[in-house]
Amino acid sequence: MTAVLEARDIHRTYSMGKVLVSALRGVTFEVEQSEFVAIFGPSGSGKSTLLHVLGGLDRPNKGSVYIDGVNLSTLNDAKLADVRLHKIGFVFQFFNLLPRLTALRNVELPLTLADVSEKESIQKATEMLELVGLKNRLNHRPTELSGGEQQRVAIARALINDPKIVLADEPTGNLDTTTGWEIVRLMKCLNEEKGQTFVVVTHDQGVAETAHRMIHLKDGLVQGVGTRGKRP
Amino acid sequence: MRRKRILTMAWESMKQRRFRTSLTTLGVVIGITAIIGLASLGEGFRVIIRDEMEQGFELNVLTVMSGGLLTGVGSYFTDEDVKNISQMPGVVLATSIIQKSVGKLYNDGKNSTALVLLAVNYTEFVQIYPDRLGVEHGVWPQSIKNDTTVLGSKVEHPSDDETFANPEDNVTVAMSFTSPLLRGRYFENHTFNVAGTLGKSGAAGFINFDDAIFIPIDTARKLYNTTNSDMIFVRLANPSYSNSVAKAIEDRFGGGGEVRVLVPAAFMEQVETILNMVQIFLTAIASIALLVAGLGIMNIMTVSVMERTREIGVMKAIGAKSQTVLTMFLTEAALIGLIGGILGIPLGYGLAQVMGQFMFRFSAEATPRRSLITGTETHPLTVVTPILSLQWAVGAIAFAIGVSVIFGWYPARKAAKLDPVEALRYE
Repeated sequence: MTAVLEARDIHRTYSMGKVLVSALRGVTFEVEQSEFVAIFGPSGSGKSTLLHVLGGLDRPNKGSVYIDGVNLSTLNDAKLADVRLHKIGFVFQFFNLLPRLTALRNVELPLTLADVSEKESIQKATEMLELVGLKNRLNHRPTELSGGEQQRVAIARALINDPKIVLADEPTGNLDTTTGWEIVRLMKCLNEEKGQTFVVVTHDQGVAETAHRMIHLKDGLVQGVGTRGKRP
Repeated sequence: MRRKRILTMAWESMKQRRFRTSLTTLGVVIGITAIIGLASLGEGFRVIIRDEMEQGFELNVLTVMSGGLLTGVGSYFTDEDVKNISQMPGVVLATSIIQKSVGKLYNDGKNSTALVLLAVNYTEFVQIYPDRLGVEHGVWPQSIKNDTTVLGSKVEHPSDDETFANPEDNVTVAMSFTSPLLRGRYFENHTFNVAGTLGKSGAAGFINFDDAIFIPIDTARKLYNTTNSDMIFVRLANPSYSNSVAKAIEDRFGGGGEVRVLVPAAFMEQVETILNMVQIFLTAIASIALLVAGLGIMNIMTVSVMERTREIGVMKAIGAKSQTVLTMFLTEAALIGLIGGILGIPLGYGLAQVMGQFMFRFSAEATPRRSLITGTETHPLTVVTPILSLQWAVGAIAFAIGVSVIFGWYPARKAAKLDPVEALRYE
């Protein structure tokens, strides 16, 4: 198995006013290709900070993140944006779709940024929305979609550029239980059928337990790693 | 990201905020309307002035005078001077003129007034101004007789329904003389036979032919007891010789300022320069409106960036470079400028049409109906037709886009520099 993501001794400190907050204090782990990994922990444990660092949205104070063998610390902002565009897909708790764009245009956006022709990007985005079960919602704007549907659109957008890894930040956090499980099932399905690698940050233990591995984060440190059905 | 897609996205974003975009664009429209209105009106006004001046000054005729421009020192130029000037390169003809003031004219109980007496060589003088001196009655004298005269149109018609003299009439002219003995001027009556009268001829330089009477130069020389002349009129092959011939003439007379050469082309250039400056000044004032619009764009875009902070965060998270975000916002600013410019041009031109129709009508009624330059009563300035050149139109659009982009730069840069994590957290 190949490591798609490697986090080595990640430290991240914030200053909040005059107080320094150590959100991450030496996090190290790997994610293999086609793995479904959950980062699990209570609120304030540093989960979201870790996800931002892993996704190249934030830079660690110390340590390195490797995505598909590329050390993100060595990249400038433009190169980092390229990595996010081509190798990483993001799914957010609050969906973060652009409200003025239709579902199709939202999904198409990464392809647009990647200079894919309009014809090809529309075709790919349509296929991707079909894959997540939104064939009949192509031209609906986010406000015309339910929470679950919006998150499906967000997942389709995350997958559209065939990323090496999808990073999901509390993907069920803003959904009711039933819809939340539908989203989890969709991600699991994509993982099992397409071999898509997922790292899901969650505080929901039930969701975390569906992953191949659970990384338990607390106070900015990895407390333990558990496998499916076996808590850390 | 492809330009077309950036344009589409910018357009969609503007459509989303239609009311706000419209208000921002309105600022640009007003700015461009003001600029184009004043510029096209100024250009129309300039063309009128230029036409008037071209009527008033034959560009290929130089006037050589001694001393000050209006005062002059009499009897300065010799026939040798005239001959020498006529041999200069570019000179077609040079002719002597004696210019004197004149009193009343009498003809069988009728009288008239002339402002100036011009003693000319009839054969040469008509060649200096072949197009201007239109004879209304009688003839322009071909053979020189000592007592022939030609009357300017206002001398011939002191009022609209009055005719002073007919060809072949003998008129008495109170000619002005200077007496060192009497330390002043005195008048002496001389009789001349009218060969012809002129139609409205206007002015050439500072001499208005309508207020003049012409007599033969040889007669004037005898009467005024001189062999010299007061002025020399020089006709050039074309106006491009103006400066070189003027310089050569001044050099011939020592270049010390004793002789002045009135160069209509240079005078016109100066007037053009002044008109250009006035137009630039007016346009600069109008540009303030566009700068205010620019501040509006800056304001609205700053608000827009704040509102779209989260959206910018999402764009960056999914792979948009800072440069892409910057380009997107600047494209929106440029589109506002483009639309404002395109709408402002016809509005500005329309405004200029309205102003050109009405504004000068009132001022024309208040001023004497007499053209300052040509001295004729031809056409009072009641209507100015604005002129809009392609360069102005293109320049105005470019200016509108430029101002919009410059003022949009700060908020666009702010958007581009947003930290994606902070932006995603923004509520």
